Amino acid sequence: MKLNLTRRVFTATATALAMSAALPAVAQTEYPVKPVRIIVPFGPGGLADITMRLAAEKLTEIFGQQFVVENHPGAGGVAAANQLLSSDPDGHTLVVMSNGTTIAVSLFEDLGYDPQTQFAPISTLAWFDLGIFVSPDSEYQTLQELVDYGLANPGYINIGTVNPGSTQNLAAEYFRAATNIDATIIPYKTSPDILAAMIRGELDMAIESPTAFAAALENEQVRALAITGAKRNPSLPDVPTVMEAGIEGYEVSGWNALWTLDGVPDDVIAALHAAIAEIAVMPDIQARFAELNTRAESLTPEEMAARFESDRLIWAQVIEDAGIEKR
Amino acid sequence: MLDTLTNLGLGFKTALSLGNLTFCALGVTLGTFVGVLPGIGALATISMCLPLTFYLDPIPAMIMLAGIFYGAQYGSSTASILLNLPGSAPAAITCLDGYPMAQQGRAGIALFLTTIASFVGGTFSILLMVGFAPALADVAISFSSAEYFSIMVLALVAASTLSNGSVLKGITMVAVGLMLGLVGTDISSGSQRFTFGLIDLSEGISLVALAMGLFGVAEILSNLMRNEHPTVDAKSITFRSMIPSREDWRRFWPASGRGSVIGAVIGILPGTGPTIATFISYAAEKKIARDPSIFGKGAIEGIAAPESANNSSVQAAFIPTLTLGIPGDAIMAVMLGGMLIHGITPGPQLINNDPVLFWGVVASFWIGNIFLLILNIPLIGLWVRLLTVPYHLLYPAMLFFIVIGVYSVHNSSFDVLMTLGFGLVGFAMMKFDFPAAPLLLGFVLGPLIEEHFRRALILARGDITVFVDRPVSLGFLLATLIVLLAAIGPVRKIFRRLLKRRSVTTNINE
Repeated sequence: MKLNLTRRVFTATATALAMSAALPAVAQTEYPVKPVRIIVPFGPGGLADITMRLAAEKLTEIFGQQFVVENHPGAGGVAAANQLLSSDPDGHTLVVMSNGTTIAVSLFEDLGYDPQTQFAPISTLAWFDLGIFVSPDSEYQTLQELVDYGLANPGYINIGTVNPGSTQNLAAEYFRAATNIDATIIPYKTSPDILAAMIRGELDMAIESPTAFAAALENEQVRALAITGAKRNPSLPDVPTVMEAGIEGYEVSGWNALWTLDGVPDDVIAALHAAIAEIAVMPDIQARFAELNTRAESLTPEEMAARFESDRLIWAQVIEDAGIEKR
Repeated sequence: MLDTLTNLGLGFKTALSLGNLTFCALGVTLGTFVGVLPGIGALATISMCLPLTFYLDPIPAMIMLAGIFYGAQYGSSTASILLNLPGSAPAAITCLDGYPMAQQGRAGIALFLTTIASFVGGTFSILLMVGFAPALADVAISFSSAEYFSIMVLALVAASTLSNGSVLKGITMVAVGLMLGLVGTDISSGSQRFTFGLIDLSEGISLVALAMGLFGVAEILSNLMRNEHPTVDAKSITFRSMIPSREDWRRFWPASGRGSVIGAVIGILPGTGPTIATFISYAAEKKIARDPSIFGKGAIEGIAAPESANNSSVQAAFIPTLTLGIPGDAIMAVMLGGMLIHGITPGPQLINNDPVLFWGVVASFWIGNIFLLILNIPLIGLWVRLLTVPYHLLYPAMLFFIVIGVYSVHNSSFDVLMTLGFGLVGFAMMKFDFPAAPLLLGFVLGPLIEEHFRRALILARGDITVFVDRPVSLGFLLATLIVLLAAIGPVRKIFRRLLKRRSVTTNINE
């Protein structure tokens, strides 16, 4: 309570001063006054976790307060969202929400939270595309060959993805619809399961993130036929995009972004955004992200909100077209 | 062969450097500590330590994280034996015979032998890793869903007589476990099953919550209801009383050997885990024993086999992770993530590209296991003294650790409530003589059986003959059939006459 008052007084004074252009646009609210929690809706060791921990280290340096990553895994990011929703709107609790959330809002009957109204966007951090992978000794040299074979042999192609409702799984549904091939989507629990299935030869193709398959690519356990992003992946410059490979309009990009609670002072959000924007262009961060087959890019809160909405519309359509039951 | 020796030499040179030795000792000590505490397990500890290792070189980082993992397996049997409270889910089975041994005043022997059993199991898998890691990983990976289904069915059938007493009650509990395993998101369709609209249940029931509730909280409750508590005179436990007899050793070695083999087979298969390994090895001992009635009353085999299987399986789990980059469970996935953060790519090229890391880490496993021997055997007296702590202090403390441990797995307070709920259920089960072990096994195996059954059928486009067309799968199904037939009295007699094998167990009641 005391903190709140101080902050309010502080904000009011600072805003007044800022309006009279007496102060540069630095954080007027005293922030951070204690360690900041970053809630990650996935378990440790995954892409969101690793990239966010790298960023948290930098945030700690920039703000001189600990930024602590906490993992609250669970379907739909609900556990993580609840952590944020039960916190004070003072910017000391942040949450990572990804493109997966743009799916979850359509996939769940009642998610229990609405990021578009209850959360405030800060910045995107990591961007990644998905890859269409085949086994290294697969007969398909191009995506078109695979699609042609699939069209000529209905019911033959097996596509491996992780759990139903994941970005990868819906990207496969989207792929099936976009190419009109009669393929079977085989769900696996984890990306390593898919890799094992690929090595065994039980899959014709898999849709998975090149990050998850970074080691497999390096080990030549899989071969990438195409990349789902709008542009080629800098780590895989020779691999065409799905659109370049002849499937028009097919684009899937994933992202992880930092959000906080709606109602957090604008200057706190601005300070956090500025910090992430700074981190995203740091050479060592860019290099580490590239190693993970991901890309650091900060979008402004406005751009982020727009991206969320456009992704949400795409997935709502895919879910409807594929006839996936709401949960 | 010579290559292997040279490589091992390189590995030991790396692992024996002062810094690496220190981190190895640190890891296994921390592991033992969290292993002893009920509920707090390796996954949570490794997840918490992972960020700390960012500041270390990759080799000491891996050595320490791995040390926590296998160190925790050593520690987890301690509370099973002394308090009937398993330190982790795999150690739940060790309660069955470990606790009766403690009640008979043989706690020291039990602790001594489980440490040796752990060492045997760990060493067995480390030797496999040194000699045949890439080849074994290839075999493991060739197991498709059809094979997984068949081997899990064999495991389930073989384990149907896991507990003593009423067979009907045992099988009922397996069925209840299978049903509990259905809760959560259906892997094939993504639909929610038996979640009652609770998003907390969408990932299924937490294994740690279930195991800690049924075994841990239930035991605490039943002790609270008791008026008299067994008291232990610490003075009566001398070092001499901890030395196993010749007879103990004779029964120990074959069981420990079988446990090591079963553990390695299960551990190397991605997606299985040590709980299955310990339960199956216990069931196997009971199946082949001449007199199964000794189990549950302090049988040496009942602690030797599962403890060997436990450590053998966790060491074997490193094989597919290091040589194929395919982690078998959540802990291995975190370790893999840790390696990737350090810029190491586990996979077929790791042994060639980074021999210092691969062999250094493998050598550290064995050094770590020796540390654990040193750490556990001279300290047995200390653990036994736990029994002398007054119950009114001990049990609240244990409950506290269980709650923290369960919470730490998913940072979920719902899981804590569920643990307490399962504690009440487990207490009622105890009162009415419904065994908890078969329930836990059904719970662990059920989802695997279903997942692989359905995936095998999807892959075969609904053709059920896939399970008998594949030779390995057929082999497991035939073995299942034999186990089923052997359970029928007259057939069993014929089997016995045919096999005429010498049983390694002696009926202590004779």
